[in-house]
Amino acid sequence: MEPIIHIENVHKHFGRVHALRGISLDVYKGEVVVIIGPSGSGKSTLLRCINHLEEYNEGRIVVDGTPLDDTKNINVVRQEVGMVFQSFNLFSHLRVIDNLALAQRIVRRRTREEAEKIATDLLAKVGIPDKAQAYPVQLSGGQQQRVAIARALAMNPKIMLFDEPTSALDPEMIKEVLDVMLALAKEGMTMVVVSHEMGFARAAGDRMILMDEGQIVEEATPDKLLTSSHERTKLFLSKVLNL
Amino acid sequence: MAEKPKTRPGGGKLFYIPGGDTITRIDPWWGLVALVVVAAVVLVTVWPDPFWNILVFVRGGIIVTVSITVISFIFIMVLGLLGGLGRLSRNRVLRGFASLYVEMVRGVPLLVQLIWWYFAFPVMIHAVGKWLDFSFMIEYQANPIVTAIIGLTVCYGAYMSEICRAGIQSIPKGQMEAARSLGMSHFQAMRYIILPQSIRVILPPVGNEFIALLKDSSLVSVVAVADLTRRGREFMATHFNPIEVWTMVALIYLVMTLLSARGVSWLEKKNRFEE
Repeated sequence: MEPIIHIENVHKHFGRVHALRGISLDVYKGEVVVIIGPSGSGKSTLLRCINHLEEYNEGRIVVDGTPLDDTKNINVVRQEVGMVFQSFNLFSHLRVIDNLALAQRIVRRRTREEAEKIATDLLAKVGIPDKAQAYPVQLSGGQQQRVAIARALAMNPKIMLFDEPTSALDPEMIKEVLDVMLALAKEGMTMVVVSHEMGFARAAGDRMILMDEGQIVEEATPDKLLTSSHERTKLFLSKVLNL
Repeated sequence: MAEKPKTRPGGGKLFYIPGGDTITRIDPWWGLVALVVVAAVVLVTVWPDPFWNILVFVRGGIIVTVSITVISFIFIMVLGLLGGLGRLSRNRVLRGFASLYVEMVRGVPLLVQLIWWYFAFPVMIHAVGKWLDFSFMIEYQANPIVTAIIGLTVCYGAYMSEICRAGIQSIPKGQMEAARSLGMSHFQAMRYIILPQSIRVILPPVGNEFIALLKDSSLVSVVAVADLTRRGREFMATHFNPIEVWTMVALIYLVMTLLSARGVSWLEKKNRFEE
């Protein structure tokens, strides 16, 4: 089977920092891949390379059969790849409903009625149908992140990327976001998730990847990786799991 | 667009009645406007000679001052936006041009710039026209009003470029990234996400620029434009009453600037959404 995301020997430099050192990774349709690793290990950078928010210097990335090589392709790929950010990045000047409808209308060329119908349905799906007319600042962090997920889903992406979606949330709001992500995984969405939520990884993850210093250290099912005998993996897990 | 957000209590309203109709609070700044207007009205009615005569004499100048300010300001906004985007452009040539323009213009006094456009620019055009044998250039005559608008636009456009640049830069990077990740082009992201958010940020400094422009437009009187200041000087030349003339002229400027300030503050309140 063709992978839906094909990453081949990707290198990325930030000035003198060699952030990605030859990453190769295939993600298949319907798979949920969870990436963990210490800060600065390149996990976010890798994720951001998949929809070309970050340019890579070497290697090849093919998303759903489209190579990320020229600007035309990049916009095609971005329409198929939804992204959820750590800091939500909702459009602060727009109401929730318009946050969801805007890109549908100007990128997908849907009518206002169509776009708002889809937006309303998605808000119901993420559990905040009553916030359509609110501005982002009026929402809690968990609500904002659920709106951000709905905004990405409104474009009918084939792949969803999550860049530490719960790291900026208060503990009591993490669950409401993870529940939405779990439901999404159950529906068969292809997901690449940078997160240290081990509960989520166990429940939804098909594969777990540990990155360190721009390289993939270990790759296994969540259960196997979390009980790995690999020294680097054990050291990292002992720090994040607070055992 | 969805329906407009509710304004906060008193926001954008002249009269605010908190918690009922027992207390009526008036924005104190409107008091100042009223005070200045009353002062002008008193002068004009109690001593029609010379104050009423001055007002009648300079009224054409008021229209010229306001027109030049408003027309220049429209061009300044366009030029400022282009300059600001140019300063942030990835294109090195564009960025270079925009930076050169801003740095050069900001380093020369406005008065000198106006004089240059009125006296030096036409001579330069004539010389180039003769060299290229273009008759329309040889026949170029500096129109005072057009020259004034060009001079003010070029000068203030540079300052406005910096305001626009700062406004655009103040929007968190994540907004652009979110827009691009949804498949919007750079242009769409600018048009629908970044610029609408920048407007709120730049509104106060833009308002200040408008008021500064209104005052600085008095400098165009040196290039033969019959604006408020020049009309004042003309009246003075025949009547020799500096106290009355310049007090009246100052009052008229004050009424215009204070009203502009109220207008800017009203716009700011209107553009603020709940946060």
